[in-house]
Amino acid sequence: METTLTNPVASRKFISDGVLGMIFLLTTEAMLFAGFISAYIVNHAGATMWPPADQPRLPIGITAINTIILLASGFLLFFFSKNFKSNQANGKNGLGILMLSMLLGLTFVSIQGIEWVRLIGYGLTTSSSLYASFFYLIIGFHGLHVLVGLAILAYLFNKVKNSKSTEDAKNTINACKLYWYFVVGIWPLLYYLVYLS
Amino acid sequence: MENTHKISFVNKYLFSTDHKTIGAQYTIMGVLMAAVGGFLAYIFRYNLAFPGQNIPLFGALGPQQYNSFVTIHGMIMVFWVGMPVLLAGFGNFLIPMMIGTDDMAFPTLNMMSFWIFFLSAVILLASFFVPGGAFGGGWTMYPPLSANGYMVRDPNFLSALLSGSSLLILAVALEFVAMLMGGINFLVTTFNKRTKGMTAFRVPLVVWYINIAAVIFMFSVGPLVAGAFMLLFDVVLGTGFYDPARGGDPILFQHLFWFFGHPEVYVLLLPSLGVLAEVIPVFSRKPLFAYKKLVYLALLSAVLSVVVWAHHQFIAGIDPRMATFFSIGTIIISIPFAGIFLSFMATLWGGSIRFKLPMLWALGFIALFLIGGLTGLFLGSNAFDIYAHDTYFVVTHFHYTLFPDIFFGFFAAFYFWFPKFSGRTLNNTLGHLHFWLTFVFFNCTWFVLFFNGLAGQHRRIHDYSAFSNFSGGIYQTFEKFSTIGAICLILTQFIFLINVIMSMSKKKNAVKNPWEATTLEWVADSPPPHGNFPVMPEVFRGPYDYSVPGEAKDFLPQNQQ
Repeated sequence: METTLTNPVASRKFISDGVLGMIFLLTTEAMLFAGFISAYIVNHAGATMWPPADQPRLPIGITAINTIILLASGFLLFFFSKNFKSNQANGKNGLGILMLSMLLGLTFVSIQGIEWVRLIGYGLTTSSSLYASFFYLIIGFHGLHVLVGLAILAYLFNKVKNSKSTEDAKNTINACKLYWYFVVGIWPLLYYLVYLS
Repeated sequence: MENTHKISFVNKYLFSTDHKTIGAQYTIMGVLMAAVGGFLAYIFRYNLAFPGQNIPLFGALGPQQYNSFVTIHGMIMVFWVGMPVLLAGFGNFLIPMMIGTDDMAFPTLNMMSFWIFFLSAVILLASFFVPGGAFGGGWTMYPPLSANGYMVRDPNFLSALLSGSSLLILAVALEFVAMLMGGINFLVTTFNKRTKGMTAFRVPLVVWYINIAAVIFMFSVGPLVAGAFMLLFDVVLGTGFYDPARGGDPILFQHLFWFFGHPEVYVLLLPSLGVLAEVIPVFSRKPLFAYKKLVYLALLSAVLSVVVWAHHQFIAGIDPRMATFFSIGTIIISIPFAGIFLSFMATLWGGSIRFKLPMLWALGFIALFLIGGLTGLFLGSNAFDIYAHDTYFVVTHFHYTLFPDIFFGFFAAFYFWFPKFSGRTLNNTLGHLHFWLTFVFFNCTWFVLFFNGLAGQHRRIHDYSAFSNFSGGIYQTFEKFSTIGAICLILTQFIFLINVIMSMSKKKNAVKNPWEATTLEWVADSPPPHGNFPVMPEVFRGPYDYSVPGEAKDFLPQNQQ
């Protein structure tokens, strides 16, 4: 519908549409994880032994390294977004940093996948215990969010690459980066709750 | 009118991104689903009145089917009628028109929202035809009935995925995704696309209320989606989240469900109250009483709505201290709503009231909701609730709140805005007939069942023949009376259908502002063209300037200087 009338006097945007929409979406997402986490805490507190004696232990060490990888990815995205305007002025787009951030995200989710395959081999399956069910539920949902986040970053990459206007690209970056910050930011909490507590 | 460019049929009516078309799609879909829900209600009401007999237009009803029909009736009426009509329908029609803009902030997202909703409805209806039939464990989907037992026959992954239980969860999840996309659109549009001069406290109250409803929905839906996924995994992946034998906790699902389930009633209620706040001042020719306070009261109710949920679980084995907390919370939340209704009363007080059709529906809403609200106070107290839980008293209370909310609210809005959005007028005599018969037959259907409930008659029992105290005598007579009332209530709705069809076959004859109202949608043409306004109107005053002293006319449109 290209004929849509635009109204020059109507725009009073303190926050762009994309960022505002993303904030509302992430509020809902935060509540989704709050649901999972509260269910987990209730069951954890009520269990006599957590984790159960016959269940394999979770890989704390490698996941700690993986946590650092994901956090690094988040920081790279932050630097990309922070330097975007000055890079544009210098005739660069800084997409290399974004690419690196995406690669680290991909590394994170790949290591998670490899660990899952190993854990299933050790007998930790969705139906082997409540402990295992919660592990796959919470970590699986986070993994799904990482994949969606990577798709969003790929969209962002494409958008910045082909974008004519700096302002337009900046708005897209501001909206997309929030999703990745959410995915990265919630991970240490999940790591602490599911792996360490 | 200017935008007469050619758009193909598919783009104009199916995959349209115009908010008015999407609003119409949602409303029509909601009305169609209401027909399905009403038909299901007819079948099981008939069976309750005349157990074991062949039901006209259907045949014999088995106990398993009875359970399915009651469950799906509840699901349809709340999630596939209430939500699309009140939240998505009103939101899409009204928000861009009332804040003075051309369309939603994300039109494509809006279009996708409807089609995901459509898909969810198809999945829900398809669940009637899978082996074992549609889910029959009650609309609250409590485990263990929803997680295992006779509802899910086969432990095989694929057949578990295609069971009535899984399909219902899937349909509900998709419906929520659709409403979430709609809610984000409403909020962003209202924040960012208001026309010049449309400050926060010049926005009509219905827009405020739809947005507050969207916020409540988005804040509360997450835990339910979490709970629903855990339930789905219990069914298809063999996890044991809700299985006490494996360390799980079935009460957990109830908490996650009602954390959403209770705020959900305010998600349904607020848009309708917003419609009342538009209709009552117009037909009282008075400003809405305490406009700003009504916004604050709704915000207060939104906060309180997420701390009352466990009043649905008083007999589920929760801690009595917790029950007391939730009892008090429940009774406190009636205060903001009492405030809202008192403000409507105060608006009527001393007004020059015009008993036009939208006004009748609005007044009918208040009268019926009063009964629903007052019985809610009884149920909020856990001492009484322990006795009344799961009886017809609860069912009747619920229908005295949600029937006025969904149907009276919808009809008030429909008779009010139909001339604007279709450009046609409705027949007044048929409209009066529709209102009065609906009002009378609704009370015939439900009022008597309060007594059945107080006598202890339990809902969700297919056939009372084996219970001598209910199978004969006065309570069976009440059941029959109620069923006849329900059949008449359903037949009455054909008057509405005939009225709409007659009106649609006539020429467009509606004037711009038939009710002499002040808000911006009455400035646009009837029906509004694509883009709504030729030039975006500028706003100079609040939405309720009726009977301003010293003015020639008794209403001042918002765009008048």
